[in-house]
Amino acid sequence: MAWILKTIAFLSPIIGGFIYGFERIVRARMQNRQGPPLLQPFYDFVKLLQKRPIQVHSFHSMMGIAFFFATWFALSAFLCGPNILVGLFLHILAMAFFIIGGFSVLSPYSVMGSLREIVHLMAVEPLLILLAVGLFLVTGTWSVEEMFKYPGIPLVYLPLVFIAFVLAIPAILKKSPFDISEAHQEIIGGPEVDYSGFFYEAIYTAKWIEYVFVFAIVFLFTGANWWLGLALSLIVFIFVNALDNSTCRTTFHQMIKFAWFFLLPLAALNIFVLALWRYVL
Amino acid sequence: METLFWLLVLLPWIFAFLVAIIRDKNFSILISTINFLLMAPIAFWFFFKAPLPTFIETPHWLDGLMLLYDFLLLFYFVHQGIKYKHKLIYLLAFAQIFLLLWNVWIMPHSQTPNIYIDKLSAFMFLIVSFIGSLIVIFANQYMADEDEKKVAPFVALLLWFLGVMNYAVAVNNLEWFFALFETTTLASYLLIRFRKDAMSIRNALLALWMNQIGGVAILISLLFFIHYYGVYHFTDILNIGATVLSIIPLAFLVISALVKGAQIPFHKWLLGAMVAPTPVSAILHSATMVKIAPYLILRLSPAITGTLLSKLLIITTGFVFVVAALFALKEVYFKKILAYSTISLLALMMLAGAIGTPIAVAAAAILMLFHAISKALLFLEAGVIEKLYHAKTIYDIKCLINKAPITVLFILFGLLSMTMVPFAMFIAKWFTLSEVAGLLNRAAHVITIVMLAIGGVSLTSLYLKVLGVIVTHNEEDVKVKFEKIPAAYFIPNFLYVLAAFFGTLFIAPLIQKVFNPIVIHVLGVSLPVKMGTLDLVVGNLVIPFWVIALALAFVTIVPLIAYRIRLKADRVPEYLCGETIPVRVGTYSLECLDKVTPYVEYIALALIILTLIFGGGMI
Repeated sequence: MAWILKTIAFLSPIIGGFIYGFERIVRARMQNRQGPPLLQPFYDFVKLLQKRPIQVHSFHSMMGIAFFFATWFALSAFLCGPNILVGLFLHILAMAFFIIGGFSVLSPYSVMGSLREIVHLMAVEPLLILLAVGLFLVTGTWSVEEMFKYPGIPLVYLPLVFIAFVLAIPAILKKSPFDISEAHQEIIGGPEVDYSGFFYEAIYTAKWIEYVFVFAIVFLFTGANWWLGLALSLIVFIFVNALDNSTCRTTFHQMIKFAWFFLLPLAALNIFVLALWRYVL
Repeated sequence: METLFWLLVLLPWIFAFLVAIIRDKNFSILISTINFLLMAPIAFWFFFKAPLPTFIETPHWLDGLMLLYDFLLLFYFVHQGIKYKHKLIYLLAFAQIFLLLWNVWIMPHSQTPNIYIDKLSAFMFLIVSFIGSLIVIFANQYMADEDEKKVAPFVALLLWFLGVMNYAVAVNNLEWFFALFETTTLASYLLIRFRKDAMSIRNALLALWMNQIGGVAILISLLFFIHYYGVYHFTDILNIGATVLSIIPLAFLVISALVKGAQIPFHKWLLGAMVAPTPVSAILHSATMVKIAPYLILRLSPAITGTLLSKLLIITTGFVFVVAALFALKEVYFKKILAYSTISLLALMMLAGAIGTPIAVAAAAILMLFHAISKALLFLEAGVIEKLYHAKTIYDIKCLINKAPITVLFILFGLLSMTMVPFAMFIAKWFTLSEVAGLLNRAAHVITIVMLAIGGVSLTSLYLKVLGVIVTHNEEDVKVKFEKIPAAYFIPNFLYVLAAFFGTLFIAPLIQKVFNPIVIHVLGVSLPVKMGTLDLVVGNLVIPFWVIALALAFVTIVPLIAYRIRLKADRVPEYLCGETIPVRVGTYSLECLDKVTPYVEYIALALIILTLIFGGGMI
């Protein structure tokens, strides 16, 4: 058990790359296109490595590299560490590098993107904390490894939390309707805009790791039933991509309102009822 | 032991007296240093070596003296109220005189000694003597830069304040506690009006009347205690037993803590304090004054745990935690941002104290210590940038990064240490959150979790926003040259940085050796902590040492390397979409919150009244 998680954590950039490649195919098919081959992210990877390294300044580039390693570290601590909350907060730390990197150049696109990235944090993190608390309530442990050994299906107890999480995934992975911090048509990728070549590589790969992070959380909802988890992930995957393809971008006001006044109460209600039920019985 | 305790109180007073009469800048800095070198070891001895808990008998005449002092103090307040034609001040002071007379009238004789020192008191000694004394050293240089003539009175006031604070956290007698509570009010009043301009005096008067509400609340609670139980010592009150004890007097004590802790709607006095010289803010926010609030809640936490009072207190402080964090997001003045974050974090400390389980109490104590360190650091740096570079807003700080890298790096470190994994403040927040999650069989605690989550993430985004604005720059070819900072500015700040860094790295031994004894003395039970390991293991809450060390390296060392290193890559200008106009970078401020401010204050007041009435069981 532990070694599987360790392997996943260690190989997460590669696994994430495959997920991303698959996603590009699925998205293309949804748009009636052929789409790139599955290995396209890795071809991109090699291509980016061969480019001439250019940068705005070293601090900015270093923040990009730090973002990659911090994300990897956060995922490792999330999967192999003893506490799910610490993993989530380490993910905030990784995001902090990205945000600070975006702020550190004097480009309005980049700074605007970073500011929006903070709004993303504000929208998503409380929900993730509630999710962790909900999982703790069901499984009785803070350790992700122990949660994967839980014989029951937490999804049964936490349906609303799950729905809230699925609706928040676009905000975590920067997909429409909540691709506010990237917003290619208006702020040209936000904090990413000034990275290029090798340094963009770091950002690009860090985003793959975030895929692993998100789908690891989806798996948590099925406890020890990994096949169910796989099926659930697939459904969530298709749903998120369909949503991405069929919606238009919201404003950040709308996102934060949706997250705080709809998703958060939804998750809180679920946990409230669960706690009440436990208390009564 | 007794002598050492009195030294801890009287030494700063004697030093203050010396500084006040000799009035020499160099002498005052010498005395401040001696004060630090003497106080710190004594406080250290008290915490680690002294046989605690212990009672200290006081001579009989001291009772009379304290009473006399009480009346003199209150008449001084009346005098100030009349002098500045401020009705609230003299009315509240008269109310206190009346209540105090009534108390004295019915007060029985008690055999319980008036001084009680346990690990919690000794812990406060540590905070006051280490962190507070360093601020005093800093204050010498700060005032010397402003006006050399004012150094002596200013430093004398600060030293005297430290002694008062040491005294206040050791008294057992509630009436004496009232006297010292009001003395800290007096100290804050004198310090805030130190510059004596119209604005300072107005804000000082605000602080005076608001804090007097706390005094009134203490006296009412004293009246109840004497009337119903005939006791007026903290130890006796806690011995009565939670089932017998009426909760009304405790509710009043809690109200006094909320006032002292500058909780919304009583927060205006702490915001007003920012007109005073910066060391005043530093000392009010970090080592003294507001720390009385969580101290008092921790003292009472065995008596209020599990009662309706504690639950309502959790809701009230949780609300303030969120709202103050959100309010901080709309400010651009650095000191104002810090003030709001103090209010928010004080709420969190009291929330943890009110939960009252061993882990929550440990979390409150960790927050008290590390908040004091980080806030002292940030306020002193705010003083440095104000004095040396005339920077007040976060945009001013941004322009300093090439001129004053050390100062800005210290500020960045301070901001990070307030929120980021794995700093001790984060660990305390995490303890609180997990502890509340463990209590979820009471279903309504889900509200507390939502508040903790939103408040915590708001504070994080606040610090990220400030950090981001500060690091925005585009020139790299500037040679980084470390600025020269006066020693009295540099040394205290450097010590704070070291304390926050190593305190975090060795948080596990620190919890085993420092916070566990405090919990044992406060609650009588031990933390479920695993001894003798660098891994943090408290019950089912575990962080291995490698995660702490790596995360700390990520937070501190990586940005430092990133700042110093020059990568070999061709440089391009940032993408501006072909525009050539100069770019000015700002940030958002949640001005939309201005609309709801009055409502928020009403809600907070309503919650406080609810806490008093329902929590106090008055219906």
